[in-house]
Amino acid sequence: MTTESRTITKALAPIASYFVKDVKFPFCKGCGHTNILRRLNEALVELQLSSRDVALVTDIGCIGLSDGLFEAVHTVHTTHGRSTAFATGIALADSVLADRRLKIIVLIGDGGAMIGLQHLVHAAMLNVDVTVLVCNNFVYGMTGGQSSSFTPEEFLTSTTPKGNIVPPADLCEILRHSGAPFVARTLATDRELPSILRQAIDFLGFAVVEILELCTEFAVPANELTGKKLLEEAEKNRWKLGILESRADRALFVDRYERTNGAKELSHPEQSSVRRTKSAVVRRAVSIVVAGSAGEGVQSASSLLCQAALSANLYVTQKNDNPVTQGSGFSLSEIWLSPRPVGFTGIEKPDFILVSSEDGLRELGLQGWMDRLSPKTRMYLDDTVDPTMVDDRIVRVPLRSTFGPRSATLGGLALMASEQNIVDPKMLVALAADRYGERTASGLTDGLKRLSAGGGAG
Amino acid sequence: MALRLRTGNQMIAQGAIQAGCRFFAGYPITPATGIFKTMIDELPGEGGVALSAPDEISAVAYCIGASMRGVKAMTATSGPGWALMTESVQYAVMTETPLVIALVQRLGPSTGGATQGAQGDVLLAEFAVSGGYTLPILSPSTAQECFDLTILAFTWSELLRTPVVLLSDKEVGMTAERVDDDLLRNVTSQDRLQWRNRSGGLEFMKPKTYGTYSFDCVQEIPAFTPVGGEMKVTATGSAHNKQGKLQKNSPETLEVLKHLEEKIRWRENDLVKVDADIQNGAKILVMSYGITSRAAKDAVAESRKRGIRVSFLGIQSLFPVPSRTITESLQGVGRVVVAEENLPGLYRSVIERHCNGARVLGVNKIGSLITPNDILNAVQS
Repeated sequence: MTTESRTITKALAPIASYFVKDVKFPFCKGCGHTNILRRLNEALVELQLSSRDVALVTDIGCIGLSDGLFEAVHTVHTTHGRSTAFATGIALADSVLADRRLKIIVLIGDGGAMIGLQHLVHAAMLNVDVTVLVCNNFVYGMTGGQSSSFTPEEFLTSTTPKGNIVPPADLCEILRHSGAPFVARTLATDRELPSILRQAIDFLGFAVVEILELCTEFAVPANELTGKKLLEEAEKNRWKLGILESRADRALFVDRYERTNGAKELSHPEQSSVRRTKSAVVRRAVSIVVAGSAGEGVQSASSLLCQAALSANLYVTQKNDNPVTQGSGFSLSEIWLSPRPVGFTGIEKPDFILVSSEDGLRELGLQGWMDRLSPKTRMYLDDTVDPTMVDDRIVRVPLRSTFGPRSATLGGLALMASEQNIVDPKMLVALAADRYGERTASGLTDGLKRLSAGGGAG
Repeated sequence: MALRLRTGNQMIAQGAIQAGCRFFAGYPITPATGIFKTMIDELPGEGGVALSAPDEISAVAYCIGASMRGVKAMTATSGPGWALMTESVQYAVMTETPLVIALVQRLGPSTGGATQGAQGDVLLAEFAVSGGYTLPILSPSTAQECFDLTILAFTWSELLRTPVVLLSDKEVGMTAERVDDDLLRNVTSQDRLQWRNRSGGLEFMKPKTYGTYSFDCVQEIPAFTPVGGEMKVTATGSAHNKQGKLQKNSPETLEVLKHLEEKIRWRENDLVKVDADIQNGAKILVMSYGITSRAAKDAVAESRKRGIRVSFLGIQSLFPVPSRTITESLQGVGRVVVAEENLPGLYRSVIERHCNGARVLGVNKIGSLITPNDILNAVQS
């Protein structure tokens, strides 16, 4: 795929018109749409684009009837305001995954432009090879002349019977500031229209042309609108006319994507499959609840325990819970390790509980875990966590002071694994070395040594 | 044997890549973000495109556009994002565009509980299409099933030319579990039937008789022609004839609308995917789907230990409703227990009519998993 070129093929046989035979325009007498479509057809004829390489994407409203008038291009008629989004999808697939042949032309009105504004903005940001023609006649014609977001102030429409009091948005400026490399504004009757359309279609990248025009059914009679008055309106609103932006320095999405993702990467880089060991492991299903503070590696320590269990050929599930934020409040994992496949992933009466912080204990209380302990449940609690709690089933360990807050859970799990013969703690240390580096692993080993020298868990 | 610890979300992404999905546009939302993230990490290495869209509406529209260009595409979301996507899902139904959407449920209504599981979107998903057109829905309960059913979802979507929903939930999507790589089938999904130009010419075909949505009999799936291909595509989300031309109430247009449903209904007995464990002489049938199937299976095993004869039917293909399979599983059954994590018994309300007069009991709960004990109590009651 060569950069900065489109492999547009010219039509094999000259195409005299892209319209259907004996085209009949369904628009009101004098409507600007007819003129715009005729000029669009002329631009296509001049460029002689191969029919299979052009897709016309439309949506709802009078201008949305245009697709039925074109025969020698693909047409995709979509939902109101969304045509730029569907066009972007076609363009992304065509440019990155296919042969980068398509020229996609979107035809929308001022109504669709505002419903689909985010699609226009994003298409401009991505810089996909899509040309959008916004046919702005300031009203919703098909539904009876209601005001749009681009209706000038004081305009009379069926929904602004006393005159529009909301200033219109400037679409061209919005899109220019969103990075659109080609932006133009013109009138449906402007002599420059054919040339601007040709340049916009020929432009490699996102191009938008706002075409101001007369809705003869509604805007014209209500506002005594004429071509001259339209020009005055443009002046009053400081709508600049002509080509407002045309820059070749913005790379297309496909080029940036291929530059960034050119090299084929190995899949699953973050997790290779586990090494098998023959260490001593549990011979029955064991449930463990691990609770601590978010941001202190609770869930990732739990996943290391699961990895260690996998390496011993156990079945595992790890169900996580945390508040909607990611780095504050509690963090909780419910783990099953079993020689047989695990069905229900919740835990009704945990065999083991590890609590590495006050946040964890508070959440266990709130979730009702303390009412679901069995006489055999063993609880490993950091020694700073609610020291007033006394229970035969509690094992107090200085986890935070021995391993530090960020490794307290991992240290606690390694200690528990070793004392309760759940998995080989050496496997856990090895996995910690893989994931966090040797320093964490040796910290873990040292901590475990210190705890056992100090009499271990009390 | 290669064992890995993988979430359901990761396995949906892996299944999609295995199925040949090469386009993913996403928007972050808990609990579906894991699918988006895995696709962003892995799809470029497979020669595909994964990108962030500015919202869910754009995400699904990009996917539909890509699919119209001929590429297998997927997006993933949760209930609030699904609400935004339904307009375009209907568009995919109407334009017969293949698409897979992973809907990872969380607690609703509205933004509800982002990190809480639920099975409350089953009818919201199915009845998203005006006029009541069947949206095929597959619902996995394990990480392995996430992989398998994603591939199947692509096959259905490609062969039927219609969007297919993978209905997962927070607990299936974000729970990590053991996955054995050796058990993952090395197959891709089947591909959409492509229209072939028999004349072999390069000219742009504007056929008089064959159109974008052509079929001879109403159940037939039209051959696909990509935007950019040699045959003119006339795609539209408005009521149309077989050529794709906008029409109001013409007999042919009504036939096309009928076809959209008939092409799926006619094949409903081929679109059955269940996890059946039928016991001879069972008087009780436990039915469930998604995450609750796991508790249901445990409850069935425990019931049998206690000497109760009970059958289990885990339904993976929720829609079209596997009515024949359900009826067949009811032989000799007097009581049916349907367990699901929503209060009204949403899926129960749909399958009740297929239960042939058996007494149907719901096990329903929100806020936490339905436990094997909850189901056991219903079995024993």
